[in-house]
Amino acid sequence: MTAASDVARVVDEPSNLTRAWRRFLRNPAAVIGALIVISVVAAAVLAPSLASYPAHAGSFVDFRSRHLAPSLVHFMGTDNVGRDIFSRVLFGYRISLLLVVGVLGVAVPLGVLFGLLAGYFAGAVETAVMGFTNVMLAMPPLVMALAITAVLSPDLINSMIAITCLWWTWHCRLVYRVAKSVAAEDFVEAARLAGASHMHVLFRELLPNCTAAISVKTTLDAGFVILFGASLSFLGLGVQPPTPDLGTMVATGAQFLPEMWWEAVMPGLAILYAILGFNLLGDGLRDMMDVEI
Amino acid sequence: MIASYLVRRAIGFVFVLFGLSVVIFVVARVVPGDPARIALGPLATNEQVAQLHREMGFDKPAALQYFDYLGGVLHGDFGRSLLTNRPVAADIAEALPATLELVLFTLLLIMLVAVPAGVLAARWHNTWIDNASRLVSLLGVVTPGFVVALLLQLFASLFNFFPLTGRLSPDLGFVPDITRLALVDALLKGRLDVFTDALSHIFLPALALSAAGIGQVMRITRSSMLDVAKRDHVETLRSFGVPGWVITLEYMLRLACIAPLTILGLEFASLMGNAFIVELVFAWPGFASYGVRAILSKDFNAVMAVVLMSGLFFVVANLLIDLLIGLIDPRLRVRRT
Amino acid sequence: MAADPILEIQGLDLGFTAYGQTTQVLHGVDLRIEAGQRVAVIGESGSGKTVTMKTVIGTLPHPAGRVLGGSIRFQGRELLTLSRRERDRLKGTDISIVHQDPLTSFNPVFTIGRHLNDVLRFADRRLGAATDRADRQRRIEATLSQVQLKEPERVLRSYPFQLSGGMRQRVLIAMALLHRPKLLIADEPGTALDVTTQDEIMRLLNQLVSEEQLTLLMVTHNLAIVRQTSDYVYVMQAGRIVEHGAVCDIFGMPRMPYTRQLLDAIPPLYGPRVQRREAHGHSAVITTNGLLKRFVAPRRWLEPASPPVTAVRGATLSISRGDIFGIAGESGSGKTTMARMIMGLLPPTSGRIAIDGRSIEELRKDPAFRHRVQIVYQNPASSLNPRRTVAQTLAVPLAFAGSVGRGERNARIRNLLAQVELPAQFASRYPHQLSGGQKQRVAIARALAVEPEILVLDEPTSALDVSVQKTVIDLLLSLREQLGLTYLFISHDLSLMRNFCNRIAVMFRGEICEQGTTEAVFEHPRHAYTRALIASIPVISEAEERAKPVVTLEERRAVLASTVQ
Repeated sequence: MTAASDVARVVDEPSNLTRAWRRFLRNPAAVIGALIVISVVAAAVLAPSLASYPAHAGSFVDFRSRHLAPSLVHFMGTDNVGRDIFSRVLFGYRISLLLVVGVLGVAVPLGVLFGLLAGYFAGAVETAVMGFTNVMLAMPPLVMALAITAVLSPDLINSMIAITCLWWTWHCRLVYRVAKSVAAEDFVEAARLAGASHMHVLFRELLPNCTAAISVKTTLDAGFVILFGASLSFLGLGVQPPTPDLGTMVATGAQFLPEMWWEAVMPGLAILYAILGFNLLGDGLRDMMDVEI
Repeated sequence: MIASYLVRRAIGFVFVLFGLSVVIFVVARVVPGDPARIALGPLATNEQVAQLHREMGFDKPAALQYFDYLGGVLHGDFGRSLLTNRPVAADIAEALPATLELVLFTLLLIMLVAVPAGVLAARWHNTWIDNASRLVSLLGVVTPGFVVALLLQLFASLFNFFPLTGRLSPDLGFVPDITRLALVDALLKGRLDVFTDALSHIFLPALALSAAGIGQVMRITRSSMLDVAKRDHVETLRSFGVPGWVITLEYMLRLACIAPLTILGLEFASLMGNAFIVELVFAWPGFASYGVRAILSKDFNAVMAVVLMSGLFFVVANLLIDLLIGLIDPRLRVRRT
Repeated sequence: MAADPILEIQGLDLGFTAYGQTTQVLHGVDLRIEAGQRVAVIGESGSGKTVTMKTVIGTLPHPAGRVLGGSIRFQGRELLTLSRRERDRLKGTDISIVHQDPLTSFNPVFTIGRHLNDVLRFADRRLGAATDRADRQRRIEATLSQVQLKEPERVLRSYPFQLSGGMRQRVLIAMALLHRPKLLIADEPGTALDVTTQDEIMRLLNQLVSEEQLTLLMVTHNLAIVRQTSDYVYVMQAGRIVEHGAVCDIFGMPRMPYTRQLLDAIPPLYGPRVQRREAHGHSAVITTNGLLKRFVAPRRWLEPASPPVTAVRGATLSISRGDIFGIAGESGSGKTTMARMIMGLLPPTSGRIAIDGRSIEELRKDPAFRHRVQIVYQNPASSLNPRRTVAQTLAVPLAFAGSVGRGERNARIRNLLAQVELPAQFASRYPHQLSGGQKQRVAIARALAVEPEILVLDEPTSALDVSVQKTVIDLLLSLREQLGLTYLFISHDLSLMRNFCNRIAVMFRGEICEQGTTEAVFEHPRHAYTRALIASIPVISEAEERAKPVVTLEERRAVLASTVQ
């Protein structure tokens, strides 16, 4: 092969991103996941317009309509004080998504930052950060969250704080692993030899190599935050009534099993639906970006 | 040597437990509101509250309180419960075996179901077996523990197959007192009727608790097997005509099960957390219900003890898993020459 | 009547099916091996040689790989129509393969003994012979001594990672010999090993072929080793046999241009084709004196401390301005450690390094030092950040070390790309859109961005195809002319260094055992290791073979870390 041909060989393939999107679209599970997530977000945002009985999301009682089975009027039936469950579920999605944004909005940047620092600087920084992270990871997260929410009064903000305090450690560990292996690559040393500052290396060389893993994990985590939040409120430590919260609805409805099964099962399925969507989407992203988590 | 590898890990875990105790102590002490007053109720006088303060040592500086506590813990004394007024250690000792039994049974269930399923899914990947197992594992992962628990209770009540709550039928009059584990003791005492009764009681809660674990482990086993199948040494064995099933079950599986074991260890903390919910729904008399009550009534000696015990469970489980992995993978215990 | 050839492939067509489409990878392959012959199939990657080999053994992935036509006859029997069971009976018994990479060919969690025992046990079972453990053990140990492995019990008890590369390769050969195969297929034998070890393995194979009356089919891309280990050669390209003939015919009078191209690509060691580089008498720019580097592994709890490793000892060398100075050595020789110490990346345990008279300690603190010495790494895949474009990668040294302002930067990047003969549009490309050679050019451009005087080249062409290597070397030579650079070239490839460097230092086990102009080192090597090393390099002509230094068996044994230990 002559010098000219080696140099002039133009790699005429579609960009990696286009190929990746095509791979994503070929994956039916991923597409379904995306659609589910979009529907949940739409439901939350447009709840006032979509709900048949938006007023039921607040304090509302109608004892004549208690415990009605699912019908065309009430898609998911009514609960023990006569509120339309479907409308409350839509508003409940608002709380869930608020939780997701609140928790991940803080936990992800925090975890990423500490993970990068621990993976790149190693030594004492690594020991300190990962030591602390390992301690947090040894704790049953639900117990810790319960303890924290019990200590502060149970409401949305406090559950957010409780969950965030634990959640950032997972992202920290993930990014630590990726950053550590990337930091060992030649190009990082080459950048340092070229005079690059630590800031540059952390955020311009290491971080772009972590974004794939971070995006996948964040998407998956959205589902798990919802799951976790629902578990907390199931135990009575999340949002307090009358604000509609899916976990609380399941807890209240559980009293009336098995006869009025819809009161617990419907919100339960709604939670399941949302988590399923984020999970499928996250898996699809993982396949698309060919990441190992 | 494997011993040194384990000891090193154990020491790391001791530090983790130590750190755990500090963190939970700090959290418990950040309590706004006066736990002594809460314990005594709103009608207590100031002197009574002050006296309880002194008894509980709340008037000493925080660091000193911590060291007192730590000293006690190392002697097995977790302090006194503000709620029951009994030593916390006694309360926990009573409730512990039930949770232990549930967790062990769940782990067994996970390994026996998820690993073979993962191997089969990998072996027949992209066929209906694979897709079915992936669906099952997906459902396991995305369904919240309490939803699974409630659904199981719903189906149980419809078909009347399994009891809904509790650990042992009271009319059998059986008290497990050898290992404190009902299943084991029933076998040891030769009481088959008790054994089946205990089994029917534990089955649903264990199933609920294992759902997420089965989902995770099955998926990881599958991908690990698929990954190992691509390796050169599998090709080598094939070119020498070693039978497929030998390659899969002996050579590939041993190497591939390191990943799911590791994940199981890490997931154990979540498992403990979920146990709280499952115990509540199935009224399982373990230390989860005790824990939730303690948390809700701000009985923080009990809370700290519960958290520490959970941490201890995690540490022990991980050490056992490390032992298993060390036995499997010689690279961890034998030095490179 | 002449006996059936051991292997006869006629008109083999093979395709791979994916997503319903079939791509044909083999076109009418014809091959014939007589009993007792040593045949080699040469081809670069993508030539189809590996696929042909897999089809003969029967380990093609199915249903993806499909035979579209043709026949394969083993001792007269048609293989392609055999049942799966019949096919399996031949594996490991009549037809055996020695795999390429000794490390990944073993399952790390099982002992060597377990591997060998299982292979033998199932082979016996396939042939219907029931054997007991003791009998198998005997046969395994006998085969291990055939491949010259001493202490067979220790080897059997060991895990794969506990043995050296050479020992593992011998174990693989033993595995293939367990059942006295008629046809032994060797897949790129010794490619993953040092050249001295590879030489020993080739000798072993030759010996086994004559002792055991084996028939050898060797599949490789290395034309040079074929000359001493084959009688007949097939050249493959793009799924077709391009040329075939006896070894002396192919090497002496190659007919097809592709064959000639392959032969030309092998750098000569001796003779008129060698590119001789002059050693000028310029002043010394890098000097080292008695360098010592010892690595002490951090002590782990409860384990006895591992002994410190001496990577470099007593290294004294002098590099003149404008030199292309090569440090040659096999794995573990310490050459990379030397390079890193000279770069200032690794502090020496003792000894002195001076660049232009100033000590390395002083220089490491001086930020301007980075302008003087830069490095080009071996692996183009890991030396560029996959998430940054070429322009972004080149901007880093310009912005930080060069303090080049935004405006000027684009112009400088264009200049750099032009210097390494890449078109300016490449600036917006990502590494995955570049070939290996192109990536390496970008790496060179990055090193040149700060206008260094000295360039450390750490095996810059090892990860590239042979044809691309030449273009990169040519670029480096022209850059040196243009910019007056001094090169420190680290490599294990002596043939390359013969034609590229003007001075060479040979390292062995941390010590510089020979140093001088390239001419002197190759024409009159003094140290026994240098002589053994040069003698191990496969060459493509008898004339070159004769010009190599003579090394006796005792000298070889005395010097080389034997692969049997």
